[in-house]
Amino acid sequence: MTPKDLQDPTSDADVAPDGERRGSLSRRAFLKTAAVTTGAVGVVATTATPAAASGMVPESDPDELAREHADDPGLLIDITRCVGCARCVRACKLDNDLEWRQDQPATGVDAALASSNWSVVRAVGLETMQDSRLGPRRRIARRYVKEQCMHCLEPACASACFVAALHKSEEGPVLYDGERCVGCRYCLMACPFGVPTFEWDETFGRVQKCDFCAERTAEGDPTACAEACEQGAVTFGRRGELLTEAWSRIAADERYVHHVYGEREVGGTSIMYISDVPFEELGLPTDLPTDPLPTYTWEVSRILPPFAAGFTVTIMALYARRQRVVREREEAEAKAGEEVDAR
Amino acid sequence: MRPRATPWSPTRRRWTFKMTPFRGVMLAILGLAVVILGYRFVVGLGAVTNLTDQWAWSFWTWWKLSAVALAGAGYATMFMIYFMGRERYRDVERGAFVVSMLGYLMLCCALLIDLGQWYNAYRPIYNWGYHSVMFELFWCVGSYTVVLVIEFFIIFEERVPWNPLHAVLKKIHAPLLLLACFLPVFHQSALVGLYVITKGRLDPLWWSQLLPVYAVMTFFYIGPAVVMLENVIANRVYGRPVHMKIISDMFPVAALVMFMYLVLRLADYAVRGVFDELLSGSLYANLALIELGIGVALPMVMFANRELRTSRRSMVVASLLAVGGIWLFRFNVTMAGLVESIGVGWYRPHWMETVVVLGLASGVALAYLFIVENFPIYTPEDVAASEAAVAEATARAKAADVRPKVGVLPVEHVKELERTGSSR
Repeated sequence: MTPKDLQDPTSDADVAPDGERRGSLSRRAFLKTAAVTTGAVGVVATTATPAAASGMVPESDPDELAREHADDPGLLIDITRCVGCARCVRACKLDNDLEWRQDQPATGVDAALASSNWSVVRAVGLETMQDSRLGPRRRIARRYVKEQCMHCLEPACASACFVAALHKSEEGPVLYDGERCVGCRYCLMACPFGVPTFEWDETFGRVQKCDFCAERTAEGDPTACAEACEQGAVTFGRRGELLTEAWSRIAADERYVHHVYGEREVGGTSIMYISDVPFEELGLPTDLPTDPLPTYTWEVSRILPPFAAGFTVTIMALYARRQRVVREREEAEAKAGEEVDAR
Repeated sequence: MRPRATPWSPTRRRWTFKMTPFRGVMLAILGLAVVILGYRFVVGLGAVTNLTDQWAWSFWTWWKLSAVALAGAGYATMFMIYFMGRERYRDVERGAFVVSMLGYLMLCCALLIDLGQWYNAYRPIYNWGYHSVMFELFWCVGSYTVVLVIEFFIIFEERVPWNPLHAVLKKIHAPLLLLACFLPVFHQSALVGLYVITKGRLDPLWWSQLLPVYAVMTFFYIGPAVVMLENVIANRVYGRPVHMKIISDMFPVAALVMFMYLVLRLADYAVRGVFDELLSGSLYANLALIELGIGVALPMVMFANRELRTSRRSMVVASLLAVGGIWLFRFNVTMAGLVESIGVGWYRPHWMETVVVLGLASGVALAYLFIVENFPIYTPEDVAASEAAVAEATARAKAADVRPKVGVLPVEHVKELERTGSSR
């Protein structure tokens, strides 16, 4: 290597000091790489198709989902019947061995799902104006909202979990496997109802959420919360039948809001609510699409295999062209060198 | 990455790292961050962050998504060299590459410290949650970081006469390049694509099916801006010349991608019918307007302008604006756009959370300085120029009886070059 080589800006640095060619590849080696890569992309693309057929594609039609899951266990929560006694909360805590914690209220206006609260009863104060003999009067009405995992028919949390620690079981409940969980908390971000919670104060934090008393419901028994309810506010049954029941209650009493919350929200949920006050005022999320959320992600990942294949081919073409240019230049330089030698 | 025609002497033994007050401060922050992380690994995430079940991801996520986009520096440069044949860009290649590699190593650290059961991080290898965007992220970020580190071995073996990977590297160089070109497109898109599932909660000004596409486009166009900033910083620290010719050659491409990005964003607003919201004057609308106007449109015009893009000063401004635009876009997606639906107010990071982020940034900066001073990153011409600058500054400082400002690059480098006869 002489100083002249360095100063020559056109000299390609493919040549190591020992004169050995590195970095750039021979045409044959490149074609081999190209063939292997294309083959790999092809294999991925072809295996992805049967994978798509076998449940990888989320069902996007709410009606189809409702038919498919009509026999799943479900709960119907009637807000008009709940008196806020929180027997369901106690039953849940006892049955699932969950702590009562001062900093995690399970009842009252501040009640929220938390690592030791799989189910809570949240009190809601509603201001209403009522006519009286002395004119309109401000009155506070109370409602109680029992909250727990909604057990979506097409759950966003399970679709978001990259180790499949969350999955929708055959029987219906959305189950969590703490041994597998990495603790990335993508499920917390993915859930439209804010259900999964994290053990923030544990060294190795896991996710906590209601499991729909999977062992009980597998036997056909009602969940602990449904069993504990003495007001008939929490009814356990098959989802399809509960839906019929819900609509017949709504039809029988005009004070009900004409909507079953959970019938179509994000594709439908196993837990459904009926109420006499708008669901928005109860603090339940109402801006949700009727498409299951995994369909949005699926729309994106669907185009990945063809895009990947196209991209690979393009960059390999660019690379091949580049290699040809380098080789031609090297040949030209070698030729020029020979001419100088001949002189 | 390709080996250099004149490798720096592999026989040089001494490793150097000159301490300066500023480096001392960065080292102290890094040390504090390490202590905090030790505490975090004992008592859990809740003690060092203000994360809650409502704000399950926030400040760290914003930091990760934004910082790793800046790793576009190496991608853009190396793409132009190895796939578009811009051989002369190789003068800035290695500096940009080091920025990218450190960016990805930092991302891996930042991802790991954010996990509850971090010891399970290997699990996606056999527990396939293939329907998750995170799954794609895991595989692509993981393998890309490995690719970058393997590439670094090419530089490494020019400095240290020991490379167990030498024979393997020679064989796998081409597939490695193709992978390095291929992988980032997918995980960069996945990083912001994580938020596609927040449909109905993330404000429509930012939620879009096209979020992954936006992420990749921003990653593509930010490269030249980061190379610019890296050059200016290296100029400040080492007196290394700014490769204005090369960089201003890269800017028009960036401007073109920015234009396409802007058109796509606006078309997306129009199709989804959120144009009215964009002009409503609300806080969200203003954030989006600042992001698109000052963070994209303005630097785009500056990059495209023939006169401005050869001026160092205006390109520093434009690059800072473009980088700021990217940080704001990710801020809006990960934090601002979710405030309303989360409903517990803005996220306020814990001081320890902030120190960890500063510590990671300091770690990257210190690692960059160490690598540049001990490995053949800058070209021999650059080193010579920076030595001249150092000598000049030292002489001037001596005359004025003050401490010299530049002068960190060890003199041995230049001596070595003189001995091998490759210095000008």
